[in-house]
Amino acid sequence: MMLDNEVLKIDGLSIAFGGLKAVDNLSFSIKENEIFGLIGPNGAGKTTVFNCITQFYKPNAGSLLFRDRKGEVQELTRHKVHEIIRLGLVRTFQNVELIRELSLIDNVLVGGHIDFKSTVFEQALKLPRAVKEEKALRIEAEDILRRLGIYDRKDMIAFGQPYGILKKVEFARTLMSHPKLIILDEPAAGLNDVETLQLAQMIRQIRDEFQCSILLVEHDMRLVMDVCDRICAINFGQFLAIGSAKEIQRNPAVQQAYLGNSEEEQHEKDSTVH
Amino acid sequence: MKKNNYLKNPYVQFILFGLVLATLPIMAQTFPFIKSGYIITIGGTLIYAIAALGLNLLLGYSGLISLGTAGFMGLAAYISAYLTVDLGWPFLASMAVAVIIPTIIGILVGLVSLKIEGMYLAIATLAVSEVIRKTFEEFDFFTNGFSGKAAKFPSFFNISLDRATTYYLIVIVMVLVMILMYNMVNGQLGRALNAMRGSEAASQAMGVNLLKYRLIAFAFATAFAALSGVLYVHFVRYSYPSIWSLKLSLDFLAMIVIGGLRSIYGTVLGAFIIFAVPDLFLKQIPYFNQLSYMFNGILIILVIMFYPNGIVYLRYDIKKWWKKIFDRKGKVNHDVG
Repeated sequence: MMLDNEVLKIDGLSIAFGGLKAVDNLSFSIKENEIFGLIGPNGAGKTTVFNCITQFYKPNAGSLLFRDRKGEVQELTRHKVHEIIRLGLVRTFQNVELIRELSLIDNVLVGGHIDFKSTVFEQALKLPRAVKEEKALRIEAEDILRRLGIYDRKDMIAFGQPYGILKKVEFARTLMSHPKLIILDEPAAGLNDVETLQLAQMIRQIRDEFQCSILLVEHDMRLVMDVCDRICAINFGQFLAIGSAKEIQRNPAVQQAYLGNSEEEQHEKDSTVH
Repeated sequence: MKKNNYLKNPYVQFILFGLVLATLPIMAQTFPFIKSGYIITIGGTLIYAIAALGLNLLLGYSGLISLGTAGFMGLAAYISAYLTVDLGWPFLASMAVAVIIPTIIGILVGLVSLKIEGMYLAIATLAVSEVIRKTFEEFDFFTNGFSGKAAKFPSFFNISLDRATTYYLIVIVMVLVMILMYNMVNGQLGRALNAMRGSEAASQAMGVNLLKYRLIAFAFATAFAALSGVLYVHFVRYSYPSIWSLKLSLDFLAMIVIGGLRSIYGTVLGAFIIFAVPDLFLKQIPYFNQLSYMFNGILIILVIMFYPNGIVYLRYDIKKWWKKIFDRKGKVNHDVG
């Protein structure tokens, strides 16, 4: 079913909205410790694939196998949205969804939500277990912030922090859950060239230091070509090609999808005939 | 230095706050300008503050609105009055039942909150509250209808409290509720509720079960409202259906908006502004009774214009002004030196 070195295997994924097939029979798999890119022109269905994996949408057909934190293979579609993170699959958001009123460290601690075993009553009464858990997770959060180089800002409020810092905080939050696979939704959106370079470095650093795979759903070609080990290109919800950055760049189907040359020629031909 | 750090401990602050409030009955005996009637006003205000703290957990943290606070509070008041007076139950047992029943209803309302939000949730909770209030008028074997239900001061283990000791009980309960609230909002629960208010999608992706945390928020909000209803009926010793109207629910909303969303002291301050200030000071002004609605309205407009997070944030401005004055003095000294 699933190879030993694979962390996510998508097989025959299809979802339609009304009559529109947003994703049509898509298959690919991501290996352990791999940085994998999913690219495609506007409206290709990247975000839909993303939402199917994280169970925000339930696919019409296909299987989504995931090797969880314990090494067991799980069918993602059998889990609810809020259970996905427990398996070791965590996502970021395009517009950085942090809590503005909380400090950076508290925002990171939200990522440790699933690790709390103590009940609300234990927390309200500050019983030993709740205090111990809070303390341990706080130390862990501080450690992650230190490794990402933003420890000195930990007690600042998220509101008003520079965008690059907020992106790092969002990364830190995902790392709190000890993920096996992190899915990044257009992380380069809103970053300038220098920041995009730093982001590429950070993605590699996270993969190496935290031993996880990363799926990058991205528009920014420089970033994708720069950091990804393998790339899958899709268009109109259908598979186009898979391979290394160079292979993808040379692939005629991908070039056609992005530049639309022959399609336009086709269109011109059509219109002259009629 | 060490003493200073000790005072910065939030728990010490809560207890000190309670101790200051607890001096009121003694002050009323010593100083003639503090009338003993003030105990009823301040005690009532603190009771309302408990319910408002619950609403603040719901609205401030999880972003869910409720206009049903008064209904739940009244329900608890009637249940406790009925159990102690008609059935002769001990105070603590009746208090437990009077808190649990409204909390269960509150949790059911919480279930509805998964489907409806914002304005619609406000209307739904208002409807529940009005239905409950209507039962106060109609079920007169239980509530004594329009003539009102009488109750006694609480009694524990053969010790009957009087007005002053009940006031102490209220202060103790309020300090406990403040401490519980502080622990909850500064831990995992508070972060989960904050995340839920910020973005449902993001909170779900972080593993927050929306249903569970909405139910928790509603459960605590109604439990605090019910607790305050029990204290009310055993302190004021009377309950009429007309008390538990929409106006009271709106007053709770005004309290936390004026006092401060997501602020514990802000909520208590809001309760003082809405209940104690009109009662103690403004009632002396002729015609004010008819104008109290206007007072709340104008206050809400002013607060939203100048302190959108609540009047409790005035303290930062005061600190700033204080620092300005202090710095100027420092500068002068420096120049002289």
